Amino acid sequence: MTAIRMASTTDPVGKSVPRIDVYEKVTGAAVFADDMQFGPGLYYGRLVRSPHAHALIKHIDASKALELPGVKAVVTGADVNARIGLYLIDRPVFATDRVRVVGEPVAGVVATSEAVAEQAVRLVEVEYEELPAVFDPVEAARPDAPLLHPDLGEYEVANFIFPEPGTNISEHFKLRKGDPASAWPQCTAIVEGTFRLPQIQHVPIEPHVAVALWETAGGVTLWTCSQSPFAQRDLISQSLGIPHGNLRVVSPYVGGGFGGKAGVSMEVYAVVLARAVKGHPVKVRMTREEEFIGTTTRQSLVAHTKIGCDAEGNLLAMETEYYFGGGAYNDYGVNIARAAGYSCTGPYRIPNVKGDSYCVYTNRPIGSAMRGFGMPEIHWGIEQIMDQLAEKIGMDPAEFRRRNCVKAGDTILTGMEMPAVDLVACIDKVAEAIGWGQDEEPSAPHKRRGKGVAIMWKAPAMPPNPGSSAIVRFNEDATVNVEIGAQDLGQGAFTVVAQMAAQVLGVPYEWVRISVPVDTKYSPYEWQTVASRITWSTGNAVKAAAQDARRQILEIVAEHWGEDIKDLDIKDGKVVSFKSEREQPLQNMVVYGLPNENFEGWKGGPIVGQGHFMPTYVTNLDFETGQGTRAVVHYTVGAQAVDLEVDTETGQVEVLKIASAYDVGKAINPDLVMAQIEGGAVHGMSSAFEALRFDESGQPLNPSLVDYRIATSVDAPQEIHGDIVETPLEDGPWGARGVGEHVMVQTAPAIANAINDALGIRFNDLPLSAEKIFLALE
Amino acid sequence: MANHTISVTVNGGKEYLDVPSNMTLLQMLREKLALTGTKNGCAAGECGACTVLVDGEPVNSCMMLAVEADGCEVTTVEGLAHRETLRVSENPKGLSALQEAFVEHNAVQCGFCTPGVLISAHALLERNPHPTDDEVREALVGNLCRCTGYLRIVEAVQAAAKAAPETGAGSLEGGAQ
Amino acid sequence: MHASMPGLSTFDYVKPASLSEASRFLVEHDGGARPFMGGTDLFVRMRDGFIRPQAVVDLKHLPGMRDILYDEQAGLTVGAAATMNQVARHPDVQAHYPLLAEAASSVASYQLRNRATLGGNLCNGSPAADSGPAVLVLGGRLVLYGPSGEREVPAAGFFLGPGQTAIRPGELMTAIRFPILPAGNAGRYLKLGRNKAGDLAIAGVAVFGFPDGQAASGYRFRIGLASVAPVPLRALAAEEVLAANPPGEESFALAAAKAMEAASPIDDVRASAAYRKAMVRNLTLRGLREVWERIRET
Repeated sequence: MTAIRMASTTDPVGKSVPRIDVYEKVTGAAVFADDMQFGPGLYYGRLVRSPHAHALIKHIDASKALELPGVKAVVTGADVNARIGLYLIDRPVFATDRVRVVGEPVAGVVATSEAVAEQAVRLVEVEYEELPAVFDPVEAARPDAPLLHPDLGEYEVANFIFPEPGTNISEHFKLRKGDPASAWPQCTAIVEGTFRLPQIQHVPIEPHVAVALWETAGGVTLWTCSQSPFAQRDLISQSLGIPHGNLRVVSPYVGGGFGGKAGVSMEVYAVVLARAVKGHPVKVRMTREEEFIGTTTRQSLVAHTKIGCDAEGNLLAMETEYYFGGGAYNDYGVNIARAAGYSCTGPYRIPNVKGDSYCVYTNRPIGSAMRGFGMPEIHWGIEQIMDQLAEKIGMDPAEFRRRNCVKAGDTILTGMEMPAVDLVACIDKVAEAIGWGQDEEPSAPHKRRGKGVAIMWKAPAMPPNPGSSAIVRFNEDATVNVEIGAQDLGQGAFTVVAQMAAQVLGVPYEWVRISVPVDTKYSPYEWQTVASRITWSTGNAVKAAAQDARRQILEIVAEHWGEDIKDLDIKDGKVVSFKSEREQPLQNMVVYGLPNENFEGWKGGPIVGQGHFMPTYVTNLDFETGQGTRAVVHYTVGAQAVDLEVDTETGQVEVLKIASAYDVGKAINPDLVMAQIEGGAVHGMSSAFEALRFDESGQPLNPSLVDYRIATSVDAPQEIHGDIVETPLEDGPWGARGVGEHVMVQTAPAIANAINDALGIRFNDLPLSAEKIFLALE
Repeated sequence: MANHTISVTVNGGKEYLDVPSNMTLLQMLREKLALTGTKNGCAAGECGACTVLVDGEPVNSCMMLAVEADGCEVTTVEGLAHRETLRVSENPKGLSALQEAFVEHNAVQCGFCTPGVLISAHALLERNPHPTDDEVREALVGNLCRCTGYLRIVEAVQAAAKAAPETGAGSLEGGAQ
Repeated sequence: MHASMPGLSTFDYVKPASLSEASRFLVEHDGGARPFMGGTDLFVRMRDGFIRPQAVVDLKHLPGMRDILYDEQAGLTVGAAATMNQVARHPDVQAHYPLLAEAASSVASYQLRNRATLGGNLCNGSPAADSGPAVLVLGGRLVLYGPSGEREVPAAGFFLGPGQTAIRPGELMTAIRFPILPAGNAGRYLKLGRNKAGDLAIAGVAVFGFPDGQAASGYRFRIGLASVAPVPLRALAAEEVLAANPPGEESFALAAAKAMEAASPIDDVRASAAYRKAMVRNLTLRGLREVWERIRET
């Protein structure tokens, strides 16, 4: 055990080195947003929230609240008069003329304590006039549905998103390839279904916390648990008219993100409240209940999907319509609908495709980025239809997938050429690990056992030009500080970045430090920590920065020795010459340089390497057909198989084993990949049983951990088996591509397929539950 | 609202504090003593991120009033290594065997649930030095984790159990001090 | 709209030195003072804004409240403030009242069981109280101390409605008494939650059985139900079936059906009435089979 910590790990890429942040985390020393100390001047903010799902705001009277001792300010939408958004700027900072969901903040109160602020919130009087509400996305997409955003046409929008003003449709992505109409007659088997998924929530164990300070001189600082400090800076800066250089976003360790801390949800409220009490930091914390409905959620989905194949099992045609319930504001959700559109076939080769993917406003909590970004939602139906097609033509479901899954060089639905991945190897591995084809005995006469398989793909869903940058700087003792704008949410980003830097620099992994917290004032730019892109994108930037530093060092030493730089390398923290076998330790020279002979002058100086990476090859997609040369940067693919038992007397499902295999290109840290596989399998399993529930008027029914149950230690499967497949990514650092989201994308349909194997019953609607299964059996 | 003067031993050190009636033990630890290792995850006794030991037993500190801790011994994650009877000798970082095991088995991702998990696991091994996997899982059912999927946590707890000296739980005689 | 608060409302914490002082305080502040022991129910409801007492009265330090005493003649006395963990791991409870230990250890999580008390669970009057069915089938009697002194209420008469018990203003529960149980007994508490453990009961069934020469079947069974009616209750018609008919699949099936009839659950966010009823039937059947396997040997 001590051996690991005293270790000096050279060439760490590919090795399962311990996490770089693990000691801080096991001792409780790791600082999270609510742990930061702000001194006696700290004020607290609490939000006044709408009790109605859809209503006009007639009047706000804060006079009683302002009279309460300890209350410093009340801020309403009229005071802010600004909208905020990422791809679509549709959300007012504090509702102005109307509220669009139960819980929407209409005002904020600042007070000397959280308790006083909360008391004051209840004294703010708001008069509403209720409007008809709509909750189902298909209904909301109809022309006669209550209109949530009459001003949709005036909102600023990214040039790859296409809202339909006058409706509740905030995005419509069209995919047209081939001619499904002519292909249907050639299909031996056609399966059609409607699949429904409710909204679910990320449930990070750390609720959102934001502290903001608006200095009287104009500088603004926001401390918050953020996946994307630079994106938050950008959005808030644009929304409130603060120059980017005057707004500083600082993010310490994040206690779980899963996409929920990726954009701006509640953080902007801390900033506008701070503006009302300049010079005092203001802390806004979400209670767990607010976390459920007052931050963001995963969108709901109604999918109508039809897929057909020929007698040999070749997929011929697909038609699909996705109606995403985006909630009250779709500023992030529109990109989910788009991503679902350009990946709408799932990881399959289908020559004729008609896909329409809609993001629709509903009077529900905001739908935004959540692990998988549209992929879990669409794979739920796709993977079940594939099983049904296989059954119809009498083919094994794993074999059906081997036959039809995308392979390197295929032309996929957008016309792009599929990069090299090995999905067949993933299928083979999970089939072997789960004992595919072997019927197993259930553990009791009243139980039924079944196995199911599902595959997936996902591309990072980003604008075409998301950039990463990195700085590598040496300290006198040759330890290295690596500065990045990417965040570690638990996925291990800091660790793999340190490994990559150490690898290129030729120093032991243990010499590298990652500068925490991420701070837009000092850290170099990172678009966002989302999309499973950090290992690939930030990795490339770090690699470039480390190569820059390395080159600087070698140039100095080459000149110092009078040797050719090609004969030099850095190994184990020393520059070595293959030719002369001379050595130069990095210590001191990386800051002080090297003296010339007889100290006649010096050469070199402080070594600072910089690098960046931005993909340059993503192209536009045709609005009518979704076709384009290069829709996405790359795809990660994977397979999962599930072995489970159903208790027919109660309907309870026990997942015995999950087998996962993902093609990550190159596992920079194999154990961290396995950790993602395990965590993702349980998260994916849990997601099949989760749902936010509402009554007929839109009131949330289960916004608490008492009634929104997530998987516990007792629910986790007995066994999770993971396999890593490595087909290098062309522009990945050492061939690496991301996997953080992919590991939970297809668990729910794999479970559904296994339940069908056990019981002969299919479930098209989530959530699953013991009750639902039992009642279906009766 | 009444204020109470209490004395609580926290991580081996005696503290004299003035606390209002409605302050929870969690708030007292985080706000009065700046012991921020213990976390606020739900304030409802459901997530376990606030778990501490009170007189050796794990409780959700969000569901206990500070004033109730008067006269009690409280251990938080910051005090685990000192309290630990399962210590590994020659441990340069001064961690307990349990903390070491979490490091080795990568049983930590975001780290937010980790303090509470360590406390619950520590208490488990003190009362049941050689638990079955099922017993470990049950002991941790009140510690929610969204990142790891729990299996490594169970592995790490079992590894710490095997690393323990064979003397009885709770005994300070066993192992290197 | 009820919104949960970030913290508890303001109140005074009161720690009376004696039972009479506690009782007096509760009478004087009737409506404004709330007794508590573990606080696991009270604090949640206070943060949710449902209850805003001016004072909370800590009862758990009062004499005898934490004691668990077993006497071979008198039976088991469990102090009302004994925690679920204390009840579950007590050697005398495990040896002589294992059904009670099983019910106690089914509650929530280990951390919450270090705070939740047997008395508190009963006084809260929740239809879902895991201790309810066990206390009912084991013949528990609740000892209440109040302005008019001490009285005993059989568990069967204690639960009056959701959140309502037989406790009068100024009264507090000091102990739960269990008689010596009939020889050769066995019991089982089966709890169904949404998770495999750690959840509230969607349906809870306690089955308790023992040989009884006075019963036509030679055996007597008691069946207690939680979470499927306004109060925890005994399925008396089911019990009669089992007293009258020889134990076996046929009588068990009939009894299970009768137990299902005794249940009057509601639809709520946790489960539907239809599912709860079916689970009463299936869990009762399971419980009867398991208990029968153990008592038939004696």
